[in-house]
Amino acid sequence: MEKKKISAGKVALWILLICVAVIQIFPLVWLLDFSLASSTEMFTSGLLIIPEKIQWGNYVKAFVDGNFLHYLSNSVLINGLAVIMVILVSIMAAFACRRMQWKLSGLVKTLLLMGMMIPIHATLLPNYKIYSMLGLTDTIWALLIPYIAFSLPQGLFLMTSFMESVPVELEEAAVMDGCGIYRIVFQIITPLLKSSIATVSIMTFLNNWNEFMMASTYLSSPKWKTLPFSVLEFTGQYSSNYAVQFAVMALTAAPAVIVYIALNKYITKGVAMGAVKG
Amino acid sequence: MKKLYSNKLVITSLVLPGILLFVFAILAPICLSVYYSFTDYSGMGALNFIGIENYKTLMKDETFFIALRNSLFLAIGFICIQHPLAIIVAAVLDKLSGKGEGFFRCVYFIPNVISVAVIAYLWKFIYNPDFGLLNNILKVFGVTEKINWFSTDRAIWSVLIVLIWHGFGWGMLIYYSGIKNIDPVLYEAAAIDGATQIQTFIRITLPLMKPVIQVNVTMAVISALKQMETVYLLTNGGPGNATQFTATYLYQQAFKAFKYGYGNAISVIFIIICLIATVVLNKIFEERRPKKEVR
Repeated sequence: MEKKKISAGKVALWILLICVAVIQIFPLVWLLDFSLASSTEMFTSGLLIIPEKIQWGNYVKAFVDGNFLHYLSNSVLINGLAVIMVILVSIMAAFACRRMQWKLSGLVKTLLLMGMMIPIHATLLPNYKIYSMLGLTDTIWALLIPYIAFSLPQGLFLMTSFMESVPVELEEAAVMDGCGIYRIVFQIITPLLKSSIATVSIMTFLNNWNEFMMASTYLSSPKWKTLPFSVLEFTGQYSSNYAVQFAVMALTAAPAVIVYIALNKYITKGVAMGAVKG
Repeated sequence: MKKLYSNKLVITSLVLPGILLFVFAILAPICLSVYYSFTDYSGMGALNFIGIENYKTLMKDETFFIALRNSLFLAIGFICIQHPLAIIVAAVLDKLSGKGEGFFRCVYFIPNVISVAVIAYLWKFIYNPDFGLLNNILKVFGVTEKINWFSTDRAIWSVLIVLIWHGFGWGMLIYYSGIKNIDPVLYEAAAIDGATQIQTFIRITLPLMKPVIQVNVTMAVISALKQMETVYLLTNGGPGNATQFTATYLYQQAFKAFKYGYGNAISVIFIIICLIATVVLNKIFEERRPKKEVR
């Protein structure tokens, strides 16, 4: 009797989990399904359709006309550089504020962390002005600078809290051996921060990978535009061919989803760690 | 050691990149925003100083208050719908303690890694009155009416649903890792005392999750205030101003209505509101913590 009750409860729990999973994933299944159909097949009453002939051509069009490779490589390059810079700058600043002895360390740290509270979109208008005055619009800097600057506070926050767990004795020994500060930071401290570097990388990547508001404000030519633009610019071009639009959306979403599924364990851990500390 | 660690030159070289980035990308724009907010600059041509005229207009601007009300609506929606659901699912997932756990966690988080651009366009199709998924689902239940999900009174709900769907995995994950941090000994003790699962959840899980809930509630309010991307692509504030938010409004004023000065005045107030909200929420939650310990 008792056992039966528990299993009934278990079933209810499973049903709840599956329902939520279906809600979360079904729109994406629908997207994939229709991206392989032809546009005329979309006006059916069923939820999903079995395409008469699988239209791989949709993806070819999306890949070629959506400039997929160009936008993808821009995204990878810009985000990669941003991640490296955020890690470097935040480790340096964290070390200076946490370990070095100077009067203004607390003030500087608070100031840099303030960036977390500033809404990004409030800087869209003035930054647009600044970048056009300096001739930075339509260059890679127009994206790199704000991406790094707005991920820095979080990076600094995580780095300082992780740095506390690094024993000071290690540094003392290094100083005895005649190590300079730079060597201490980059050769002794940095390798010990591996897990926090992973967390900061993941958070920075997630923050910036899908960003398009700044990109569409500061960039006008497609030269440095990032992956979201293969969707944004494509829809105008193929405004009536819905199936091809579905294909380009699926294609744009693919890299992040594939990387997420592959690195799922680490990303989950990274996000959890970053969120709990933040 | 001490001498080495207080070398001013070394310290400067370490913090300078960070400070320069902060000044160039955050501080300077804010100062420039304040400057332009006192002018009638249109985005090109000449500008005149008009004092606090922009701020006076803003205080009487109905759309601005609609934007704030919409943010409040989102925040309440997150707190009353998304978060309770996320906590419950996280608690259930924790009970599973087996194979399905990783799978569900992964599935729930997938929408979160997809670009807002894709999400917004996808949901535009889902809401499409002619062939959209939502109306097709309703058809299965016998509703044949072609519902316009972006009508004035429905649009804000449609936006809320997309945002809840998109952000669910994130909230769930944070609650989930919070629940994982709870000492299992407490559950064992409760089980020995004969508590049911629901009692355990209400008496043990929820109270111990309080700090996590507080952080998440703060984040929900802030993200509701900062909302821009999804709305910008989904409805761009419309129909009328039904789904207008502060960020979309300032953008429209500056780049569509050519009131660059006015847009900057909105930016300045926007920053102040976000700062106040963060500080106030932190203060409220800070004061509660020591009290709990006294008890």
